[in-house]
Amino acid sequence: MALTDEVRRRLPESIAARLSYPKLSDFERPNVITTTADLVFNWARSHSVFPFQYGLACCAIEMLSSGFARFDIARYGMEVFRPTPRQCDLMIVAGTVNERMAPVLHRLYEQMAEPKWVISMGACATSGGPFYDGYNVVNGVDKVVPVDVYIPGCPPRPEALFDGMLQLQRKIQQLTFAPPEHVEQLDAADAPWRASAIGQRARFGGRVSRKRLTP
Amino acid sequence: MSLQVGDIEIGLAEFAARLEERFAGELTDVALQPPVTVVARLAREKLAEVARRLHDLDETPLDCLNLISSVDNVGSLECVYHLYSFPANLYLELHVEVPRGTPVVDTVSDVWPAADWHEREAWDMMGIRFRGHPDLRRILLKDDWIGHPLRKDYVDDVRNHPYV
Repeated sequence: MALTDEVRRRLPESIAARLSYPKLSDFERPNVITTTADLVFNWARSHSVFPFQYGLACCAIEMLSSGFARFDIARYGMEVFRPTPRQCDLMIVAGTVNERMAPVLHRLYEQMAEPKWVISMGACATSGGPFYDGYNVVNGVDKVVPVDVYIPGCPPRPEALFDGMLQLQRKIQQLTFAPPEHVEQLDAADAPWRASAIGQRARFGGRVSRKRLTP
Repeated sequence: MSLQVGDIEIGLAEFAARLEERFAGELTDVALQPPVTVVARLAREKLAEVARRLHDLDETPLDCLNLISSVDNVGSLECVYHLYSFPANLYLELHVEVPRGTPVVDTVSDVWPAADWHEREAWDMMGIRFRGHPDLRRILLKDDWIGHPLRKDYVDDVRNHPYV
């Protein structure tokens, strides 16, 4: 499954350095059970994200084009776009959210299976964008659902979307089964990422994924 | 309807003259807007009856309603009916003034079914009520929206924005 040291040795140096699959030695941390489970689950989760088609405006065109051969979202294991929230764990909000759409968006978010993430794609979804002063525009989808990654641009190119997804992968890899009070001790290097995930969950009344993950 | 687009060979001036003759005293301020449009004004009391007659006009029936736009002229409101005649391939732009105090107009959705949603939008955005409309609800905004946002004197209500 994972890249063994033997395989890694046979790869060119430049490629081997870029691969981030867990090595066998990664599983030999002091807290063997929890660490191993975290690594395996996060590795699987972060490379098989099912995005939910939530195209609301012109950003959706960039989202679609990122799915086709020229940009090819399948390279990141995220190509399985689903039209129903029940089968998704990533909502890409691509476009302007207005007052009438906001309750619908909130309901669809609640219907998604946990753990779940939200990407706010483009200026409109992030802050209202050019329509921030409109009478019917919600100034940022983060007023409705918790957002994990914001992608700037109007609209962002597919490369920007991929960058956002890579950032999200990094965030997914910080999930842990450990109880929140022990999280800070796990890895000081990634503390900001963990802290933001915890803070976000607290802000939205514990509806975000980590709580359900805790056994 | 056996007539096709452009079956009736009629110039714009002749089209306007014919309308003026048939609707003398009803269509006022008739003007040409070349190449294909006649502009006219109509009192709102006569709208329901004139709309039916325009639709059933022989030779050049205005059988298609392209659009109803609503305008806020500050002093008064206005409905603009963009009518099209398939056989003549010409347009009539019908301006109907609506007073601000009692913004009520007769519906034309029984004449042109396409008017249904356009009138709902005019109600939604400009607050013009259409007497006799089968289902005059808001069409774009939320059902519980307060005010009509495209009016010049619209003041936004904080209750319209529960997510702010």
